[in-house]
Amino acid sequence: MLATESRGPASPEPVSAASFQIDVPDLVLARARRGEARALETIYRAFERPAYTLALRMVGDAESAREVVHDAMLRLIERIGQFRGDAPFWGWLRQIVVNESLMRLRKDRGVAFDEFDDADEPPGDAPPPWLLADAARLERALMRLPAMTRSVLWLHHVEEYTHQEIAAMTGKSVSFSKSQVARGGTRLRRLLETETKESAPCLAATI
Amino acid sequence: MSGRDHLDIHPSATPLAAALRALPEAAPMPDLWPDLAKTLAERKRPRWRRYAIPLGAAAALAIALLVPTLATHERVEAPIAWTPVTTNATADELAALHDRSRTLERWIAAVSARAPQDGRDLMAAVEVEDLIGLVDVQLGGANGDADALPLWRQRVALLEDLAAIRGNGAAFAATGEQDGVVPASLNLLN
Repeated sequence: MLATESRGPASPEPVSAASFQIDVPDLVLARARRGEARALETIYRAFERPAYTLALRMVGDAESAREVVHDAMLRLIERIGQFRGDAPFWGWLRQIVVNESLMRLRKDRGVAFDEFDDADEPPGDAPPPWLLADAARLERALMRLPAMTRSVLWLHHVEEYTHQEIAAMTGKSVSFSKSQVARGGTRLRRLLETETKESAPCLAATI
Repeated sequence: MSGRDHLDIHPSATPLAAALRALPEAAPMPDLWPDLAKTLAERKRPRWRRYAIPLGAAAALAIALLVPTLATHERVEAPIAWTPVTTNATADELAALHDRSRTLERWIAAVSARAPQDGRDLMAAVEVEDLIGLVDVQLGGANGDADALPLWRQRVALLEDLAAIRGNGAAFAATGEQDGVVPASLNLLN
């Protein structure tokens, strides 16, 4: 079924890999292959939010994410005739968005070599802070991670790419992908805990 | 996805994954579709209209580059003897590509300064400029001439594309072409 219902800002839906998993009917694909604007727009409308969300999580700023989605959709339009249908269409489109995002990261910041040096710290006994943090805090902390770390974390945890797949896409090793996921989690925990400590006096003062 | 890591916990089963997946979706603002539709409409133009103007611009570029060269070479040069490929072939080709690249860049700068750019062409030009930037990044990491040679070829090819697009704007400005009217220079070809 083609999910074309618009999701208004008042009722945001949780992001998941499933949000990209939209099966486009063969008829719409056939019309899109013929270059029919209405069919292409239907496809665009179906995927604009998952594509933009993925791009935003990877590149980290709204303007770059818009450009990534724009370029990815142009690639899609250019190459839709080459789509053979032996894999899900959404997976093909998602891969285009991921590739465009990685290209943008490499181009803008040489981020392919962006690794942070802090050592892994074993988590304490306290419950992970993301269990307690609201979405806005978690999102703020996520955006403070180094771009490649955030991208790998997102690709693995949300889009469910394997470490092997991430290694192939980023041109890095499987252990690089695993370490980015582990360190990203550690860094995120630290960022959330720090923010909690910093905001605590304010909260106390307001009570 | 296929080939899931068997030794890992399924990522979606971790609390962090659940928290990340619960973040709200975002939407591009403002809407991207009008830009995309415009590009799409541009690409659906008849082939002769898509290619005639860039081809005309490319021909003009070729003439612009050749005429000064011919004018400064009044004497007929003796034919250059054929020489076998040497180990310097790569360096020679690189030097030629550097020259060509500089020439094209100067021409593009001159044409761009002369003519306002049509919106569609501006988008295409920005895309090609992005690709040139990407090649430049790769050139920064190239190890030696052998690595750099294919990148320089790519750079020159992209600059030629950019020259054609920028020249398109110049052609519009020069001929005052209105939509659907073929430039006079192209009528000469018919």
